[in-house]
Amino acid sequence: MLLRLWPEKTKVSFMSLRFVALVVSVTALLASAAFLSMRGLNLGIDFAGGAVIEIEEPADISAQDIRDVVEPLIVGEVQVNSARGTGPDAPDIAVVRFKPQPPVGDETPDDAQNRAGDEVSAALRELIGPERFQIRSEASVGPKVSGELFRSGIIALSVALGLMMIYISFRFQWQYALGAVAALFHDVILTMGMFALTGFEFNLATIAALLTIVGYSMNDTVIVFDRVREEARKYKKLELSKVVDLAINATMSRTLLTSGTTLLALTSIFLFGGPVLRGMSFALIFGVIVGTYSSIFVASAVVLLLGIDRGDKPKREVEGFQGVG
Amino acid sequence: MLNFPIWKVGLIVVVLLWGMILAVPNLFSDGFLGIEPKEVSDPTNQAAVAAYEQQLQEAEDSWWFLPAGKLNLGLDLQGGVYLLMEIDPAEIAANRLETVQADIRTALNRNPLVEREPPVQTDDRLTIEIKNPEEDMDEAIRRLNRINPTIGTTQTELFRVQQTGDQFIQLTVPANARTALATDAQSKMMEIIRRRIDPDGVAEISITPQGDNRIILEAPGEADPKRIKDILGQAGRLTFNMANLDPSAIRAAVVSGRPSPRELLVDSMEAGQILINRIPELTGADIATANRCFDEANFPAVCFRLNSSAATKFYNLTRNNVGRNFAIVLDGVSMSSPSIRTPIPGGSVIIEGRFTIEEAEDLAAIIEAGELPARLNFLDERTVGPTLGAESIAAGSRASLIGLALVGVFMVLAYGLIGGFAVGSLLSNIVLIIGALSGFGATLTLPGIAGIILTIGMAVDANVIVFERIREEQANGRSPATAIQAGYERALSAILDANITTFIAASILYLVGSGPVKGFAVTLAIGILTSVFTAFVVTRWFTVLYLRTMRPKRLAM
Repeated sequence: MLLRLWPEKTKVSFMSLRFVALVVSVTALLASAAFLSMRGLNLGIDFAGGAVIEIEEPADISAQDIRDVVEPLIVGEVQVNSARGTGPDAPDIAVVRFKPQPPVGDETPDDAQNRAGDEVSAALRELIGPERFQIRSEASVGPKVSGELFRSGIIALSVALGLMMIYISFRFQWQYALGAVAALFHDVILTMGMFALTGFEFNLATIAALLTIVGYSMNDTVIVFDRVREEARKYKKLELSKVVDLAINATMSRTLLTSGTTLLALTSIFLFGGPVLRGMSFALIFGVIVGTYSSIFVASAVVLLLGIDRGDKPKREVEGFQGVG
Repeated sequence: MLNFPIWKVGLIVVVLLWGMILAVPNLFSDGFLGIEPKEVSDPTNQAAVAAYEQQLQEAEDSWWFLPAGKLNLGLDLQGGVYLLMEIDPAEIAANRLETVQADIRTALNRNPLVEREPPVQTDDRLTIEIKNPEEDMDEAIRRLNRINPTIGTTQTELFRVQQTGDQFIQLTVPANARTALATDAQSKMMEIIRRRIDPDGVAEISITPQGDNRIILEAPGEADPKRIKDILGQAGRLTFNMANLDPSAIRAAVVSGRPSPRELLVDSMEAGQILINRIPELTGADIATANRCFDEANFPAVCFRLNSSAATKFYNLTRNNVGRNFAIVLDGVSMSSPSIRTPIPGGSVIIEGRFTIEEAEDLAAIIEAGELPARLNFLDERTVGPTLGAESIAAGSRASLIGLALVGVFMVLAYGLIGGFAVGSLLSNIVLIIGALSGFGATLTLPGIAGIILTIGMAVDANVIVFERIREEQANGRSPATAIQAGYERALSAILDANITTFIAASILYLVGSGPVKGFAVTLAIGILTSVFTAFVVTRWFTVLYLRTMRPKRLAM
C-alpha cells in the first residue's frame, strides 16, 4: 500500500471555512504588524551597516577578555558571543558585532567604519597572539551601501510582485491576479512578522528567501487557480464556492506532497546546512507552510469574493480538453 | 498512445550526455585520481607545487575530450576577500582641475597680462580674477576655451567657462564631464589596482566595474583584508625633491609653522620632520620599474629604475648638487633622504627603510603601478576564512545528500515504481544543473547550494502534478496508457504557469541581487528549466518504456 497524505475522493468544503480562515489570517497579520512595529526586525549588517568579526577563540580566552579589548575602541554597544566549534576538536568561535561608527574629524562615515574594523582586528590579533589568530569571517558594511542594499531588496520584492500580477491577469482574469497578490502579501508580512517575533537576523539572504516564498506561494496558487478555471468551465451551472471546493479537493493531494518534499529538503538545510543557511532555511520553511495555507484560504477566497466572469469563451488551449473524462 | 518519436529519444540522450560531459570535469580536483592534495605540500616549495600542478594537468590532459570549464566556487565557499570601493566624482573633477592650473596660468600670463591673482580653486570650481576686464575679458575667455582639454578618448570637454560679475571668470566641471572623468578614472584605477595587488599577474583576482564610479575586487584565497586596504588606501604619489636637513632651519619652520614659500615641511620615516622643495624634480611617472631588493646590510629594500630621459635628468641633478640631500617622498612622507656623495648615472635608485619583505614588495608594487587619480572609499568589505569556506562546502553537500535521500524515499513511498522513475529524473536533473552551471561558468555560492536543495524539493512538483492527474484518470476507469497521456496533457498548462511565475521571481533576484544571492538566483532559475524538462520529458520517457515492455494492466500508484 502506497503512502497517501490525502484520501482519494474528498468533498471537504474548504470555502465554508473561509470566514474562520479570515479571522485566523487577520489575527496573524495584526500580530505580525504589532511585532514588526514594537520589536522591529533584527537587521543584519547588510541593511543596518556595522561589522561582524568571527574568529577562532582559544580555550584560554573568554568572551569577557574579548569584550574588554574591543569596548574601548568602539562607540556604542559591542556584542560578543561565543559558540561551540563544529567537529570534535574544532576550536570555539567568538563573534564580535558592533554598529556603524560615528565619524571623527573630517572622516566620512564609511571611513569611520573601516577604521573601527581595522582597529578591532588589530586588537584581537594582539590579544590572541598573531600565530593563533584565525579570522573565520569578517564583514564590514558602511552606511552608504547598507541603505542601497535595503532599497534594492524592497524594489526587487515589489517588481517581482508586480510582474507576477501582470502575468496572472494575462493568463487568467484580473480577479485571480488580485487573489494571488493578496496571498503573496499575506505570506510576506507573516514571514517578516515571524522574523520580528523570533529575532532571527534579517539580511540579504532573507530577502532571497522572501522572493523564493513569493515564487513558491504563487506556484501553489496557480495550480489551484488552473483547476478552478477548468472546473468552472466543466460545471457551468455550479455555484462558484462549490467549484472552488472541487478544485481544492482535487489538488489537495498534490499540494501536500509537494509541500512535503519541499519541506523535507528545507529541513535538511536547516538541520545540516550549517549556521550560515539557518536563517534563510527557517524563512523558507515558514513561508512554504504559510504559502500552502494562503493558496487555499486567501487566494481562492478572494477569487470567490470577487467572482469570476464565467460567460467567457473558453481559451483555446483548454478547449481541446473539454469533455474529456 | 505510446509512440515516443525517435527524435525525442535522441534529444533526451543528447541533453543528458551534454549535462554529464559538462559536469564531469568538476571531479578533477585535489585528491582525485590518487594525486596528493595541494595543501599537503609546502606552498613555498615551488618545485613541489609545480610538480603537483603538472600531475593534475596530465590527469586532465588524458581526459582531453572533456570541456575545461568547472564550477566556480564563490568566495563564501573557497574563502577570500570581497571589497566594494567607490571613487568620489567630485574629487576626481577637483584633482583634474588642479592639474590644468599650470596650463591656465601660462595661457593667461602670456602677453598681454590679463590675470590679477593666481586662480582660486574651491572643490571643483576655479575662480580667476581679471585685472582689466573691459579690455581683457573676451580675450581671456577665448584663451581658456582654447586650452580646454578633452577627457580620455571622449570628445567631452573638461570645464565650462563662464563670466561671473564684472571681473571674474569661473571654470566649472559640468555633469557630463564628471561622468566621463569618472568612467575614465574607473578604468585607469582598475588597472592600477590590479598592478598593485597582483604585480606578477599570477593571482586569480577579479576586478570588475560597477556603475560609473565603483569597483569590486574579489581575491579568492586571500585572508587579510587589512593588507589589501593598506595597499589600495595610499594615493601612491611619489616625488623626488631636493631636501634641506639643516636642523636650525627645520626648527625655525616648525616653530613658526610657516616654512619659506619655496619649501614644505614633511614627516620623515627616518627622523622627525624635514624641509623639501615645494616643486619636485622627478615624479612617479618617471619610474620605469620597481621591485623588492636587498640593501648592503641585507635588509629588504625597494629598488627602482628611472626611464631614460629621467635618468639623464637625475644624473644632472646629482652632479650639480653633490653634498646636498634629496628626499624620496611618498604621499607627503619622506621615505628616505640620502645625501648625494657622487653623481649617480644609470637611473638606479634604492629606498632603504628597514622594511619587512612583504612591506618592501607591496611598496614596490605601489610605486610601479603609479598614482591613483583619486582616493578609494571602501564601502563594503567581506572576508571568509578558508576554514569557514570548507565547513560550508561540507555542510552544503551533507544537506544536499540528506535532502535528496529524503525526497527520494518519500516519492517511492507515495508513487511506487513510477515514483522511482521520478527519482531517476531528479538525479538527471541534478546532473543537468551542475552541467549547466559549469557550462555557463556560473559561480556556486552557499545560498546557491541551498537553491539546488530547494530545487530538489520543488522539482518533484511537476512530476507530482502529472502523477496526481494520472491517478485521477485511472480512477475514472482509463487504461494506463490513456491515463498517462491525459495526465500529461492536462497538467501542462498548470505546470507552465506555475514555473513561469517562479522563474520571474528568480530573474528579478538575479538582476537585483549581489554576490551570494545572485548565485542562489542562478541555481534556482536553471533548476526550474531543468526540472520542467526532466519531469515532462525524462520521467515520461521512463514511464513509456515501462508501459511498452511490461504492458501492465494497471499502474500501481
